[in-house]
Amino acid sequence: MKTKFFIPLFLLFIGLTVNAQIDRSKQPKPGPAPEIQLGKPQTFKLNNGLKVLVVENHKLPRVNISLTLDNAPYLEGTKAGVSDVFAGMIGNGTTSISKDAYNEEVDFLGASINFSGSGAFANTLSKYFPRVLTLMADGTLNPLLTEEEFQKEKDKMIEGLKTDEKSVTAAARRVEAALAYGKTHPYGEFVSEETVKNITLQDIQTFYQNFFVPENAYLAIVGDVKFEDVKKLVESNFSSWKIAVAPNVSYSIPKDVQYTQINFVDMPNAVQSEIAVENLIKVKLSDPDYFPLLIANNILGGGANARLFLNLREDKGFTYGAYSRVGNDKRYPVRFVASASVRNAVTDSSVVEFIKEIKKIRDEKVTADDLKSAKAEYAGSFVMSLENPQTQARFALNILTENLPQNFYETYLAKINAVTVEDVQRVAKKYFQADHLRIVITGKATEVLPGLQALNIPIFYFDKYANPTENPLTKKTETVNISTDEILEKYFKAIGGREKAVAVKTIYRKGSAVGAAPFPILFDIRSMTPNKEVQTLSAEGMGTLQKVSFNGESGYQEAQGQKKVLEGEELAKQKASRPIFPELFFKAEGYKLSVEGVEKLDAGDAYKVKVTSPDGKDTYRYYGKESGLLLQTEDTMEMQGMSLSQTEELSDYKEVNGVKIPFVSTSTVGPQKIKVVFSEIKINEGVSEADFN
Amino acid sequence: MKKIVLALTLMLCGLTFYAQQVKFEEYDLPNGLHVILHQDNSAPVVATTVMYHVGAKDENPDRTGFAHFFEHLLFEGTENIGRGEWFKIVSNNGGQNNATTSDDRTYYYEVFPSNNLELGLWMESERMLHPIINQIGVDTQNEVVKEEKRLRVDNQPYGKILEVVKKDIFKKHPYRWTTIGSMDHLDAATLDEFLAFNKKYYVPNNAILVVAGNIEVDKTKKMIADYFGSIPQGEKIVKNFPTEDPITQTINSKATDPNIQIPAIITAYRTPSFKTRDARVLDMISTYLSDGKSSVLYKKLVDEKKMALQVLAINLSQEDYSTYIVFGLPMGGTTLDQIVAEIDVEIQKIQTDLISENDYQKLQNKFENQFVNSNASIAGIAGNLATFHMLYGDTNLINTEIEIYRSITREEIRDVAKKYLNANQRLVLEYLPESK
Repeated sequence: MKTKFFIPLFLLFIGLTVNAQIDRSKQPKPGPAPEIQLGKPQTFKLNNGLKVLVVENHKLPRVNISLTLDNAPYLEGTKAGVSDVFAGMIGNGTTSISKDAYNEEVDFLGASINFSGSGAFANTLSKYFPRVLTLMADGTLNPLLTEEEFQKEKDKMIEGLKTDEKSVTAAARRVEAALAYGKTHPYGEFVSEETVKNITLQDIQTFYQNFFVPENAYLAIVGDVKFEDVKKLVESNFSSWKIAVAPNVSYSIPKDVQYTQINFVDMPNAVQSEIAVENLIKVKLSDPDYFPLLIANNILGGGANARLFLNLREDKGFTYGAYSRVGNDKRYPVRFVASASVRNAVTDSSVVEFIKEIKKIRDEKVTADDLKSAKAEYAGSFVMSLENPQTQARFALNILTENLPQNFYETYLAKINAVTVEDVQRVAKKYFQADHLRIVITGKATEVLPGLQALNIPIFYFDKYANPTENPLTKKTETVNISTDEILEKYFKAIGGREKAVAVKTIYRKGSAVGAAPFPILFDIRSMTPNKEVQTLSAEGMGTLQKVSFNGESGYQEAQGQKKVLEGEELAKQKASRPIFPELFFKAEGYKLSVEGVEKLDAGDAYKVKVTSPDGKDTYRYYGKESGLLLQTEDTMEMQGMSLSQTEELSDYKEVNGVKIPFVSTSTVGPQKIKVVFSEIKINEGVSEADFN
Repeated sequence: MKKIVLALTLMLCGLTFYAQQVKFEEYDLPNGLHVILHQDNSAPVVATTVMYHVGAKDENPDRTGFAHFFEHLLFEGTENIGRGEWFKIVSNNGGQNNATTSDDRTYYYEVFPSNNLELGLWMESERMLHPIINQIGVDTQNEVVKEEKRLRVDNQPYGKILEVVKKDIFKKHPYRWTTIGSMDHLDAATLDEFLAFNKKYYVPNNAILVVAGNIEVDKTKKMIADYFGSIPQGEKIVKNFPTEDPITQTINSKATDPNIQIPAIITAYRTPSFKTRDARVLDMISTYLSDGKSSVLYKKLVDEKKMALQVLAINLSQEDYSTYIVFGLPMGGTTLDQIVAEIDVEIQKIQTDLISENDYQKLQNKFENQFVNSNASIAGIAGNLATFHMLYGDTNLINTEIEIYRSITREEIRDVAKKYLNANQRLVLEYLPESK
């Protein structure tokens, strides 16, 4: 019955060692390739569909039994967790053996029997094998599913979820899958307290009836057993399993993101960022691309000799380990994931290195050495895996469930060996995306987000349950009970009264900014109601650097001797702008104002007021809760789907002609910050119509 | 349902119990290197491993984490293996390798297809004879080790339990600090200190070489003599660790963890070395208490009373002392005190009454199963041989330790519980969520 065959190993290595005297400066050459034996399990099938694989191995007096239910993935949806609760209940007694007696007997035999939602695994000394097989079969066919156990498992599950509540890695793994597949796909959904609470005992029973069926069931028995005995035992224990087929529902195929982006999850307790650079790939074990893809991934991030590890750990010391992986699945796409846990400070730099390595393996052919090394690693681990007798069973099971040719594993090494550098590049380009990467980062926003924002990759924010959310660094607002009219009145009062403001026709401001450039930049800003303004930026000994001039109808922009007439949107924007106390104009010109809440600014608590222009554009103005003064303005620009905020903080208010004017203005755009300090501000003097032409 | 895995792995204590009948041969080279060979030609695999009798407890108290750090350094290269080449050579030849450090020893291993035996011996002899230890390596590995600590300790729920327990249980003995050690100490360490550490501890007379798997014994012996025979012997190492005073009053302690939401309660007792018979009795007691669904603590606290989400009794055995730890996660409104009280009731029962004949037989069956499974792979056998020789002083325990367990009586179980597991001899640690 047992078929054995031999395959020559290590076609890759040729060479012999017959040195009497050692020369330790030379790396020893391998000896002749060991001959390996790839046994095949004996098999039989029951009438109800259960397929049985038996591997006899008498080296140790033990037996492993595994039951695999190869059912199609199933969305648990609002009852996510039903299979987990079920797994906690099954294996605790049967309809004819009480829970205590069952657990006591398994423990007494020194054995273990563990069930999951898709099968079971048992380990026993061979002398107790017949009894353990019987207990496992009885547990599978006649489980005791009681209300009491159900409640207990539910409670434990909910409590268990809490232990992971603040775990950065748990949140990261959950979000990485949920974002890749979507939460309505079996591979993307996750268990939460709410979904566990929705589960009823009836759901558990239905789950059992639907999925614990023999049609796609495989029983593998490996160890110190005799085939004939196993056959009799399995027949007597499993024949009464009723014929049934598990549901097979199809789900939509998830897609990659349209453009490379960062998906950020804030975990304020994180001391490391979890980085996962991922995209979806469709590959089955039986695909011709499977082997080249294994090799490509091995070179990129397969282990301690791969590029990601050598770069991020051995060269840069960013992480304890950086790896990539590809899976395989006969039904749905799987994920290609390159990942590492890195300290907060190097989160952005690590993202850059990941992208660089992925680009490199796509754009450049790997070296012959890289390829040789990757092949050797696979050949070695294939050979060494044969030490474990369960490997034979696993290979045979894969052939059955993954629809592989019978000689798949006999030709495994030959297939590995046939991969070329061209193959590696072809599959790298096909499966590792450059422009459709989802970079999921779970970490501490206050420490890592500013660096990520500077990378120029669009960022989207999610909470730890994969729901879209706001940028966590946008300061939280609290709700308040004050109208916009009251806020504006308070403002006018604070600066000296509405009448004083109305009386201001022109403002002249002169100041400088230090630190934005290697030299001080001098500012000269002249404004006149309603919308005339000229801003001149210059530097000592360099003349005018930049000038923007607008006379109420037309204007121009000038920089480095180049003059450009304002037109289109820019012109419209200038026309609509009110450089002197815009608060005076809001109502009359149809602006809509609303209070967003109170925010903590560096200058203290402030009312956040949303100002919506007649054409629907939102800006924000912050008025001091105590002082009433305008402390900050905020403008949001959309760039490539990324929102970039531009803020101007106003401080150091001083009275000029009875009106309070800010003498310091600090503008922030992206990573750039410019602080302008005004040395001179004049009202209704020093500005004439001629200045705007 | 996900299980909570405690970060106890850092300690890597000897959880090797016993083995199947394993044939081996052992001898010393003239330079003091102890060699153990185990031949098993049933699979085309060979393991070449070296264990050095140096661990975290050999560190200067101002340089904790040194031994583990050093383990990282010894992958940086040798006079004949360039920097960054180590992993490449292993992979290029189809092998796997790694190393681990505990408080008691440091262990390096390669597993290759058996035609690469000589390569494995060459690499380990290179590491013992002339590793390159330089500033570049120190600087790089300094960052890597810090990341390892963040990954395994700082970012993990319940990650700091062991650190706190050790600090409270050991006052004099160097088991009082963790294997991963202090990052400040590592920052302060100089290259000269690393070189001195190497000279003192990484010598053949402080090491064991184990070669196991598909080998020809005579040829292997010759290769070992060729590659390791010329490595100079080091100075004799004298170990003299302080003895702890007995704990006579309960130590109450508290610690907080920002990564948790459910508190944990830990009771811990200082118990004797894993070499002692008593330590093995304590192994049986922890199995009795918390291994399997019918174990007393699981059945009572988790299953029947629903007071705990999880409860574990672990005998963390080491060369000089062991630490017996009972760990519980409360469920619902249960207080930490209530959990301790319930656990104490069960411990008191063991101290007063004999466990049932049935439970005793159950323990024997469980230990026999573990014994059979503990020597299931070549790599596992190599590790067990080295550990039993170096830390237990008797290589053959790989075959005979099961006899010790078999000979333990119900009366001994009662007496040992009475001797060590008393309320006044322990630490009670409340491990709490960090309040904001």
